[in-house]
Amino acid sequence: MTDARHSRSLTAALLAPAGVFLFFLLVLPLAVMVIYSFGLRAPEGGYQAAFTFDNYLNLPARSKAFTNTLLLAPLATLLTVLLAYPMAYFLAVRTSSRWRNTLLVMVMAPFWTSQLLRYYAWMMILGSKGIPGWLAWIGIGDVQLLNTPYAILIGGVYGYLPLMVPPIFVSLEKLDKRLLEASADLGARPLATFMQVTLPLSLPGVATGSMLVFILLMGDYILPQFLGGGKVYFIGNALVDLFLQSRNWPFGAAVSVALVFIMFITMYLYMRFVLGRGDQRRAVMV
Amino acid sequence: MRIYAVLIYIFLYFPIMLIVGFSFNAGRYAMSWQGFSLAWYGKAFSNPLILQALGTSLLIAFTTANLSAIIGTMTALGLERVRGRTRQIYDALLYIAIMVPGIVIGISTLIAFVTLFGMVNPILQSAWNIKIEMGVWTVIAAHVLFNLAVVCFLVRARLTGMDRSLVEASEDLYASPWGTFRQVVLPLLMPSILAGLLLSFTFSFEDFIITFFVAGPNVTLPIYVFSSIRRGVTPEINAVGTVVLMTSLILLFAAQFILQRSIKQTTRSPLENVKPL
Amino acid sequence: MSNDHIKPQKFLDELRRLQNGSVTRRHFLGVTGLGLATAVMSSAVPGLRPRKAFAEGLSGTVNFTTWPNYFAQENIDNFTKNTGVKVNVTIFGSNEEMLAKLQAGSTGWDLFVPTNYTISTYKKLDLIEPLDLKLVPNYDKAAQDPRFTGPGTIDGVTYAIVKDWGTTGYVVDTRKAKIPETWKGFFDAANGPLSGKVLVHDYQLTTIGGALKALGYSFNSIDPKENAEAEKLLLATKPHLFGINSDYQPSMRNGDALMSMCWTNDGAQLHRDIPEMEYRLGKDGGEIWADHYAIPKGAPNRAAGYALMDYLLTPEVNAKEVISNGAPSSDTRVNKLVPKEMLENPILYPAAEYLSKLEFGAAETLTSPIRAEIMARFKAA
Repeated sequence: MTDARHSRSLTAALLAPAGVFLFFLLVLPLAVMVIYSFGLRAPEGGYQAAFTFDNYLNLPARSKAFTNTLLLAPLATLLTVLLAYPMAYFLAVRTSSRWRNTLLVMVMAPFWTSQLLRYYAWMMILGSKGIPGWLAWIGIGDVQLLNTPYAILIGGVYGYLPLMVPPIFVSLEKLDKRLLEASADLGARPLATFMQVTLPLSLPGVATGSMLVFILLMGDYILPQFLGGGKVYFIGNALVDLFLQSRNWPFGAAVSVALVFIMFITMYLYMRFVLGRGDQRRAVMV
Repeated sequence: MRIYAVLIYIFLYFPIMLIVGFSFNAGRYAMSWQGFSLAWYGKAFSNPLILQALGTSLLIAFTTANLSAIIGTMTALGLERVRGRTRQIYDALLYIAIMVPGIVIGISTLIAFVTLFGMVNPILQSAWNIKIEMGVWTVIAAHVLFNLAVVCFLVRARLTGMDRSLVEASEDLYASPWGTFRQVVLPLLMPSILAGLLLSFTFSFEDFIITFFVAGPNVTLPIYVFSSIRRGVTPEINAVGTVVLMTSLILLFAAQFILQRSIKQTTRSPLENVKPL
Repeated sequence: MSNDHIKPQKFLDELRRLQNGSVTRRHFLGVTGLGLATAVMSSAVPGLRPRKAFAEGLSGTVNFTTWPNYFAQENIDNFTKNTGVKVNVTIFGSNEEMLAKLQAGSTGWDLFVPTNYTISTYKKLDLIEPLDLKLVPNYDKAAQDPRFTGPGTIDGVTYAIVKDWGTTGYVVDTRKAKIPETWKGFFDAANGPLSGKVLVHDYQLTTIGGALKALGYSFNSIDPKENAEAEKLLLATKPHLFGINSDYQPSMRNGDALMSMCWTNDGAQLHRDIPEMEYRLGKDGGEIWADHYAIPKGAPNRAAGYALMDYLLTPEVNAKEVISNGAPSSDTRVNKLVPKEMLENPILYPAAEYLSKLEFGAAETLTSPIRAEIMARFKAA
């Protein structure tokens, strides 16, 4: 009997720290956030206790921010997947094991340069002394790239490529090469092998990677701030402005709740669609 | 295909080369080249603000990584032992911790802390004349939340794929539970734990948005870089960025190298030194 | 200091001549022997000497919050050298951000730089403390330009001391663009010949203010009808804007933008580096502002905050600030120490005909929820 008691207290001890964090730093703050979302903006900014749905009813005032984000974030994620997959495939299948890890690290290394600095570099590249400047030199004048949705897409793909490649790489590397051989032996052409063997088996990796990138993009503030210059407005910008400019905490809380809600729905739909219900767990375990 | 890979590498590294290249710019404004100079490296590393920001970032990242690794692993192990309601709740919460965007975590943590401190401080003030404020520890707390979930997922993936027979064998050989853990389970989990450690450190060191909201008066390197960029970057920042990148690359390759060598050593055939008759 | 160098009467004569500007400071220091004394204590700050005991009580770190490009590193370093207190500088981009952070509480700031129209709000929200002027002996009310001393004093109590002042206009890259004479001209150019190359501030006070001026209304208007018109103008202009950003220097220097709303100090810096960058005030008006030093309530190192404020208000030190930042001081003692070329710089010291049209920002304008929401809608559009 003491064994079972020990076992239970051991389990409790193991789970306690996370429990503390999850409660005080996740549940409590989110609960406070929900409560605030029903409040009113105090005259000089901040929170005033109240119970009203006004903030939620006012959400359409930020509809452009929501549509921008919901359009560009998935698009950027998709582009990142499209660019990352061949790279991950190359690394997993076509490189010798001697160089494989080094090359993979080289893909991830840009992540260790400050994200802010990398975006700043893109501000220069996309500014009038960068690509538009070169284009003007060869005669294609007046192209504006900075502070447009294109800048956001380029920047987003660039920023998250290093994050997207590793999960896909891992799931491709775990692939049993014999399956590919078997498929070839059964007369399947390379494309068919890819579509029917490789791709489906690597989907968990794709799902993990795109989930991670999508989450980061949906809440991104730095990317639209630097490369959008105030002209491409994301939910992240709306949130920062609501808390630091108009200091309308209740409305900001409502926007946050709306954001989280939208993300849950999108993630759920994505999982159902891409993976089918049984594989949802697999995605996070690559 | 190889061409594609090369193009991708160029795409990834071109902006970085720009950053590194302009760190040697003699001119003040980062994008107009005015000659080669190492002066900015000197300036950067004698700038007390930068050094302080760097120190704060390292402290936070290091603490976060360690706490996340420990707590994340503990949680993964603990969750293996429960079923039913408890497990579902933890699963859900951990999932939410990862899913909620950093900006929402930052804002909600700020609001919660402010409200909490507002209620607690008057009492603390009058009773013991102390106040709790936002500081390094609030940043660490907020970072650990996200990162422990990451570590937990990584370790659990490893755990579920782990060969149970090894654990059973160890127990059959009369090893104590702690012994089994230390000599069988832990080494098997090590790769995931290390990956979690590395990832946590990176996320924490690089984080801007959560830190921005909950750091109080503290300045981390990303916050410093952010305010610098807003007023026009001097090559000082480029210098710092370059050094951080180079350091991480060196550390990574060193770790790689050591790892490769230790694998080679442990996989040497036991019959190597046996001479044929 | 022995008296056999100079007789008291001669000392006073020379002092008066210095104050009149008839002799240079160097002459004065040389003739009175103070120069030698100053040279001997070259790292000591004039004015800090009498209060050595006070300086000795300082320790630790002082958290100083200010604007971009708004302090001379040399001054900060000297302060640390003299007092041993480390200075931790935090940079903010807007008053709204500062207000937001202070409202959120536990900022840990010891000294910060609010603009004139925020002070009454800070007092109302009980976020700043009445200044203990005994701790700021370098502040001489009599030497201050009376135009600017109003906002810092509420009901006879001083809450903030003027650091410097300036104006809000626009900067134009004259190599590629013509200078508009008025705010109306600014918006016409933004919608017309300069489309795609114009920046407005990410700050409702100046951006909505500029639009209101273009329509002939007051910069500070919180009238819903007038602001609705301003919103219309802004929304119509938005597609033509290069961006909405208060950090316009990089884009101006880069050539991404040819015209931007601009503050005095940035205008001065840009013009100094690229003479073709011209700073102009709208003939139809604009904003005049004054930045202050203030101490937040609950400052952890209050003593050091005061010491830093006092140090930075010392005329010689303040003069260095003016020279490096490009924002003029309201202290007549400081103006005596600033090089003549700067005093004649129209960016720093605009002509009276322009100045008379400018308005000081109002507290209600900054905190107006109407204007805040218009700005948000403008950005989200």
